[in-house]
Amino acid sequence: MVSVQLVKVTKRFGSVVAVNNVDLEIPDGRFTALLGPSGSGKTTLLYLIAGIYRPTRGKILFDGKDVTNLKPNERNIGLVFQNYALYPHMKVYDNISFPLRLAKKPKSFIDKKVREIAAMLQIDHLLDRYPAQLSGGQQQRVALARALVKEPSVLLLDEPLSNLDAMLRLKIRSELKRLQKDLGITAIYVTHDQSEALAMADKVVVINNGVIQQEGDPHEVYRNPRNVFVASFIGSPPANIFPVKVDLVEEPCVILPGGKYCPKGILAERLKNLGKETVLFGFRPEDATLHEVPRHDGIIMEGEVYTIEPLGREVIVTLKVDGNLVKVIAPPTTTGRISQRVYINVPRDKAMLFDPDTEKNLRLIG
Amino acid sequence: MMGNGKNELMGPLVTGYKSYILIGVLLLVSLPLILAYSTLIITSFANTIVSNPWVKFNFTFDNWIAFFRGELSTTHARIYTTGEILRMIGNTVIVAAGVTAVVLGGSATSAYAYSRMKYRWRKGSLKLLLLLHAFPGVALIVGVYTIYYYTLVKYIPPQSRTLYSFFFVILARASLEIPMSIWILKGFFDRVPWELEWSVLIDGGSRWTAFRHAVLPLVKPGIAAVAIFAFLAGWEDLIYVMIFLPPNQKTLATFIEGQLASGSLETSYLPIMAAAGTLYLLPTILFFIFTQRLLLETMSGGLKG
Ligand SMILES: Nc1ncnc2c1ncn2[C@@H]1O[C@H](COP(=O)(O)OP(=O)(O)OP(=O)(O)O)[C@@H](O)[C@H]1O
Ligand SMILES: [Mg+2]
Repeated sequence: MVSVQLVKVTKRFGSVVAVNNVDLEIPDGRFTALLGPSGSGKTTLLYLIAGIYRPTRGKILFDGKDVTNLKPNERNIGLVFQNYALYPHMKVYDNISFPLRLAKKPKSFIDKKVREIAAMLQIDHLLDRYPAQLSGGQQQRVALARALVKEPSVLLLDEPLSNLDAMLRLKIRSELKRLQKDLGITAIYVTHDQSEALAMADKVVVINNGVIQQEGDPHEVYRNPRNVFVASFIGSPPANIFPVKVDLVEEPCVILPGGKYCPKGILAERLKNLGKETVLFGFRPEDATLHEVPRHDGIIMEGEVYTIEPLGREVIVTLKVDGNLVKVIAPPTTTGRISQRVYINVPRDKAMLFDPDTEKNLRLIG
Repeated sequence: MMGNGKNELMGPLVTGYKSYILIGVLLLVSLPLILAYSTLIITSFANTIVSNPWVKFNFTFDNWIAFFRGELSTTHARIYTTGEILRMIGNTVIVAAGVTAVVLGGSATSAYAYSRMKYRWRKGSLKLLLLLHAFPGVALIVGVYTIYYYTLVKYIPPQSRTLYSFFFVILARASLEIPMSIWILKGFFDRVPWELEWSVLIDGGSRWTAFRHAVLPLVKPGIAAVAIFAFLAGWEDLIYVMIFLPPNQKTLATFIEGQLASGSLETSYLPIMAAAGTLYLLPTILFFIFTQRLLLETMSGGLKG
């Protein structure tokens, strides 16, 4: 197993900068998720690590060794493509054995290996079929088997679950995570699904427009988003963020509809030093509570019920707060009327403030 | 997922009595052709010219035997030796096979480049190819002949001139076929996803392994179709062979043409010439019988820009 390091890597396609000056450390033997919206450069980054694309600038290191100019076949990697890219004219057995056949391994060894991996992934009954005769989930397993059979030092996965239905996705998600732990292989997993990234990864790397927005363990990225993009991309529903006026007259405060939030300590100082008229105020839907009469601890806002969506385990209440739609996750027993006036309560330590221009989280600057 | 080339030819679009009308009309339209071909083929196995359904004839291989013995007239005088006849058939095979090889080599590589690479003039030259295909071969012949004559006289020693003329006719005839073949094959290459090639690279193969193991197997139908078209073009060619091969080197086409044009029509016994004609048609008939499905697929699937 190896660790992967990217040093100031840039990849351009003509005038498009798909990956922009990326510095990244992928830890050895861990599960790393590359998370970002469509077109953010995830696949490009993965292909750079695989050696399918050459970086326009920068270096790629495996265990400290420069592999920037090595071809894919010299890097010992396994890659599961988004569309699986199974060889349509080969049976499942031949698909899986292909990397070993190219490596000119003895027949008996190949046979043993293929059957082993097929049994592990529970596709041993499909070895005689052609890819076109398999379901999406089965194809995905075959692609995984083909990537794993040569015991690569890095396993790269490009949205391997995106072609599967929701139920299967949940099932394979936990299987994949377990498989990675059992094999102890360095895995890099590309996804646009934040819940997948949080659920599976030891380390989450959030990317947008070819630039890394934040990296860290799932909890860190979720609790302490570095900027507006991360806060509004991660979470289901994502964080509520809207602009509020700043009042610096007595102490640094932000004016909320029907309330006021005056941070303490370093945050107050930063708000003051920022010296701007507005900032972005944010909180996670599950951190807020709803009340019919205002409470006196925490941050209080007034809102009006817009919709109520019962989801069984919880209820998502959408409220109109000063023209902004805000979502709050409430207990399953919550009831209410449309247009009803309610008070939203957010614990002080759960509130987030962002610079309106740089969109950076004021808590994390410095 | 890629289709695996087994895309089912759909069921009949027209059914019921309408289908009978349709078949009837098609038969009527193709009647002259069917009549001409069946007259030719039946006559080659008959002891007389079968020009209408009421002619009484006996089935016989005599015409074929006579043809291979070089006896072309009713008098059974040996005009050619069997060696000469075989040589003439051999020439036809050489030209056809040569054209096939050159067309395949030239069009497969360029079609792959057109499908996989980006470069200046790519779009423009693709359109130009289509235009080139639209040019009739005859229109080019003066220019091509100029090159031929000039190179032959200037650079080729007399003892190599026959060889050179074969070389030349194959090259010239093949280049007429290459533009369309590039288009057909490009359509097939376009349908092979990049990921398949990359997958081979990841699995430990080279670019060449990727081409051989991931791309070629998937474009086989296209290659086969192009090969067949090229072979038939070489086999059937009359004008280029007539102009560039020396008069003593005949192919089936120029041989038949020579027999009919030289006024030997009175002396040639037509059933024997019918055997020659049937032999000339043989590859076409065989290919169309055995590869109908493939050709349909090529026409419907391969020709996508
Ligand atoms: N081969 C290419 N040629 C030109 N532009 C490309 C190429 N590959 C990617 N791009 C561009 O680079 C940017 C990043 O693309 P990339 O495929 O890496 O995104 P992604 O994050 O994988 O998106 P998705 O989730 O849709 O797969 C996009 O703007 C895309 O249009
Ligand atoms: Mg992608």
